[in-house]
Order: sequence, then C-alpha cells, then structure tokens
Amino acid sequence: MIRKEAIKIISENIGKNPIVSANGFMSRDLFEVNDKESNFYMIGSMGLASSIGLGIALKNPKKRVFVFDGDGNILMNLGSLVTIGSMVPKNLVHIVFDNSSHESTGGQPTQSSIIAIDKIAKSTNYIVFRTSSKKGLQKILKQIIKKSGPILVLVKINKSNRVSKRVSFTPIQIKNRFMKAIQ
Amino acid sequence: MNEKVQRRIFHYLKKNKIENFIGVPDSTLKHFIDECQKNNRIIISTREEEAIGIATGMTLSKSSSLVFMQNAGFANSISTITSLVQLYEIPLIFLIGWRGYLSDDAPEHLKIGKIQLDLLKIIGLKSKIITEKNWKTSCDWAFKQIKEKKPCVLVIRRMFHD
Repeated sequence: MIRKEAIKIISENIGKNPIVSANGFMSRDLFEVNDKESNFYMIGSMGLASSIGLGIALKNPKKRVFVFDGDGNILMNLGSLVTIGSMVPKNLVHIVFDNSSHESTGGQPTQSSIIAIDKIAKSTNYIVFRTSSKKGLQKILKQIIKKSGPILVLVKINKSNRVSKRVSFTPIQIKNRFMKAIQ
Repeated sequence: MNEKVQRRIFHYLKKNKIENFIGVPDSTLKHFIDECQKNNRIIISTREEEAIGIATGMTLSKSSSLVFMQNAGFANSISTITSLVQLYEIPLIFLIGWRGYLSDDAPEHLKIGKIQLDLLKIIGLKSKIITEKNWKTSCDWAFKQIKEKKPCVLVIRRMFHD
C-alpha cells in the first residue's frame, strides 16, 4: 500500500471531519485524492500537524479531528506526543503514515525502522493500532469509531515514485475555507 | 516588571476575550504565568513551536490565544512564525521575555538579546515593549492587531538578576 491509497481509504471513510495534513507529499496526496474544505493543508512548519490538530480537537469536542502525519514529521516534534497524551483529547485521531523515510526530500531514511513510533505513542497514553494492509486499515477504521482518544494509527506504507501536484489554494484560502467548514 | 502588573495583565487579556495561554515558561514572565495557572487557562508545551501550533489550532476554531516564551524560544520559532503564523495570517499575540536586555545578563543570552528587536523587525512582526506604565495601551494595541488578523508581539524586558 502506498500513501495515496491509504489516504483515500481514510479520507473517504471519515466524511466532513476535519483533517490536518502534514507538509510535503502528505498534503499534496490528500489534495489530489480527496480535496475537502475541512482539510487544513499545513504546507510549511514541518512537525506541527499534530499540535495544530490538538488545538482544534480541544476546541471542537463534538468533532473527530484527524491528523495525517508522516514519520519524519512526528519525529521532529515528539514532545507533541507527551502533550497530547497528558491532555487526553478524546476526539483526536492521529494517523502516522510511516515509510521510514523523508520521501518528499528524496527518500532519505528516518529512524522509524529501528525505533517504533507506535511504541513511543503507547508510552504516552495513546490507544495504538498498527497495520500495513488495506484490509487491516479498513478494520481499524471501524474499530476506532467507538474508542475514546487519543488514538494513534500507524500505517506502514511503501515508498512511491508518483508525485502528486502541489496544493493550488493559497494559504489564506486554505485557512478561510477550513474555518468556515468547522464552524 | 512587577508582580502586581503581571497579574493584572493576565486579567485584562482574559477580559478582552483572550481565552488560551500556551507556551514555555520564562522567569521574566513568572508572575503572569502563575496567574494563568491559578485561573486554569494554561497549557505548558514542550517547545515553543509546539505552543504556536496548538494556539494556531485554537485560533482556527475562533478561540483567541496568546503564546508566551523567552526570547531564546522565539529564536527557535522563527521558521514556524514565517511559514505558519505569517503565511496563513494567524492572529496570535506573542508575549516574549527579553533576556539579554541587560548587557551583564548571563552569557548565553547576550547574543540573541542584543539582536532581539532587530530579529522582530527583520521578519516583519510588529512589536511593543510593554512596561508598568504602558501595559494597558500596549494590550489594546495588540487587540487591534489581532482584530485585523495580524499577529503581534509584546516584549517584557528582563530588568533584574538572580
């Protein structure tokens, strides 16, 4: 399974719930596969998708807030796992698409092949799921509906050579339509 | 800045609909931070960039936020400020404790302390030095800035040694 396939399965499953997607290929893939007004494409500030997602989750307790993170991204902000785990946002679902590489910058390795990110998350009080198949992912999406967060789903993905187009909205447009969508 | 004014600033901000106070502690701001804690309005993050991310998420949800930090943490945050806060025009108020304002402050603060105001200027972030005399008008200025969707900075100078 490549990231784009995993993104498609999840984003089509969760309706209009807000998604904060990490910079680089993550946001580009989400934009190409399933653009929605409730997608916040974080095009810069690498590492911070889960922090932005936490802020949204705390202020929108009736919505399920999804973070589409990468392994390289969350490894830049591991403190975020500690903060999220201690604040216990019940409505936060943190998906980490893990290909053990910085794919957006040329596929250089991360250390997630040696240190398991889901194990770190578990020790910071997340409820953790892990899969590397489409079937497994679909099953997890059903399982988490009734679970209380913070939830982390680690989706092991393969690298891909297909590069999605850039997000064509300006940052201000991304912000404005997102704010309207989550009102 | 004295304890009484720091505590009053918190209540003035709160009265003016600043709902969230997020950041990394700084001794220059300790009475302000203590008041945030007493009033249960605080999130202490692991790094300053993280605080800016959380505050951004809250502001996107129409809940106004202030991010507090020491200027060392401001230096950490410059890329986040330019590629998130300024890029998306997120109206946050930053409250920054200025270490290295005094030229005989601890050595680790001197280099950044010396260029603090230039750093703000060069990234185009509007700021005011907030004092025991001008704090109210400076806060009013900040409210006006965020109403116009502009992030802004209030700086408190470190005037003491410990």
